[in-house]
Amino acid sequence: MADMIQLAAASTRTATLEARGLSRAFGKTTAVDGVDIQIVPGEIHALVGLNGAGKTTLMRLLLGMVHADAGTAVVHGHEVATCTPDDWARVGHLIEAPFAYPELTVTENIVAAARLHLLGRADAELAARQAVTALALTQWAGRRARVLSLGNRQRLGLACALVHRPSVLVLDEPTNGLDPRGVLVVRKALRDAAERDAAVLVSSHHLDEVARIAHRITVMHRGVVIGHLDPGGVDVERRFFDMVYAAEPELPEGVQ
Amino acid sequence: MRTALAVELLKMRRSPVVAVATATLSLLMPALAAGFMAAYTAGGDSLMTAKVSTLVTGSAWSDYLGLMGQLLSVGVLLSVGVVVCWVFGREYSDGTIGSLFALPVSRARIAWAKGLLVLGWGLAASVLAAIVAVPIGLTLGLDGPAGLGDIARAVAMAVSVAVLTTLLALPLALVASAGRGYLPGVGVLLGIVALTQIVTLLGAGAWFPWAAPGLWSGMGGPELASSVTAVQLALPVGVGALGLWATAAWWKRAEVV
Repeated sequence: MADMIQLAAASTRTATLEARGLSRAFGKTTAVDGVDIQIVPGEIHALVGLNGAGKTTLMRLLLGMVHADAGTAVVHGHEVATCTPDDWARVGHLIEAPFAYPELTVTENIVAAARLHLLGRADAELAARQAVTALALTQWAGRRARVLSLGNRQRLGLACALVHRPSVLVLDEPTNGLDPRGVLVVRKALRDAAERDAAVLVSSHHLDEVARIAHRITVMHRGVVIGHLDPGGVDVERRFFDMVYAAEPELPEGVQ
Repeated sequence: MRTALAVELLKMRRSPVVAVATATLSLLMPALAAGFMAAYTAGGDSLMTAKVSTLVTGSAWSDYLGLMGQLLSVGVLLSVGVVVCWVFGREYSDGTIGSLFALPVSRARIAWAKGLLVLGWGLAASVLAAIVAVPIGLTLGLDGPAGLGDIARAVAMAVSVAVLTTLLALPLALVASAGRGYLPGVGVLLGIVALTQIVTLLGAGAWFPWAAPGLWSGMGGPELASSVTAVQLALPVGVGALGLWATAAWWKRAEVV
């Protein structure tokens, strides 16, 4: 109920992260085709889709990592190409590889990420200690990133994305490689971010997990938005596949 | 810029690649120079003595430190070249380049910070090599009590050669970045070393920037060394500045894929 009230309040607010008709092709393959999406403060907005649906490319377009062939990405009210350092200082992201330099310790990596978001040295060190605790990394705080497991590297990347308390958070498959305890840690971190009014865009293959935390779910397929799912509805997986079947009846063997 | 410098300095301080390159420049180069001088002063008709005789013509302090300058002209290009390739290319090889997007510190600024730190490190390692060379030289029994002025001039020459060569390694940053990993840069580095030999043999001399510091240090003999002009010695400065500027421009515009 609290989530519904929060979403209703959020839906009347201005988006802090927005795609307006975004398109991008790589050669003859269209990765993202005319996508519109808005994420408002306090909202966890999930992107779901099969591999190659265009989720990661859309996130990269929103963060200026790749250039759009058409359309506009807007962050904090500014087109991505004209974003100021102040705009970017309030953005956190984890797209594929985490911010994890193998020669640095966990704490050093997080402090470096905080400083690159313009926190002073003392503030960065304090924020890093809090992030280490929040992401349950205390045991590995002094260890070099090269010795971390895949799951702990992922949590380190999340700590680096969250350490400066961003108001826009973009996470691609944040629960990749995490054990069940790690999934709970991430779930809490995302909810905390939304509760302090951050706009959160997250992609995932785990439909049940998405249904637990997201306020809105957008389904992508072959670069286009094919619909939305109600996170509170029943059997999210079946409704997801119904939507994908409708968009493309001839799915590969094993999917149907 | 201060933030970018602080973060990049931390990465360099923790890097095993930089540690090995520092040891190579500051310890191996003086040791090699001392070893070659020992072979020269020992005389005889060994192959080593014959080869060293093509590089030095006397056993004074200026000859010893001049020899180290010659060795640095090659050693610095290889050591700094590898460090440049790693510092820039590792962001692609390790997949961390994506983390450097959507930051308040621009990627161009991060690229400049990396380049300036490599330049500073190259200078520091060269000075360290020259400092280490002095006590080693005292054990060699070099000719005559060297005047402080002679030593200072020879040390300045060796450090200047090293700094010029460091500048010549900077364009490899663009190769490692555009090649999206350090290996393409290392490949071009080896190509530059080979090309420098060929171009020098063909007679282009010090007009080929990568050959100028070596020839100035005496690698082609005293006659060629004295023929190197100030303009030719200024070319590495332009090559380094242009290489770094082009790399920063590339980092500013390049996509993550």
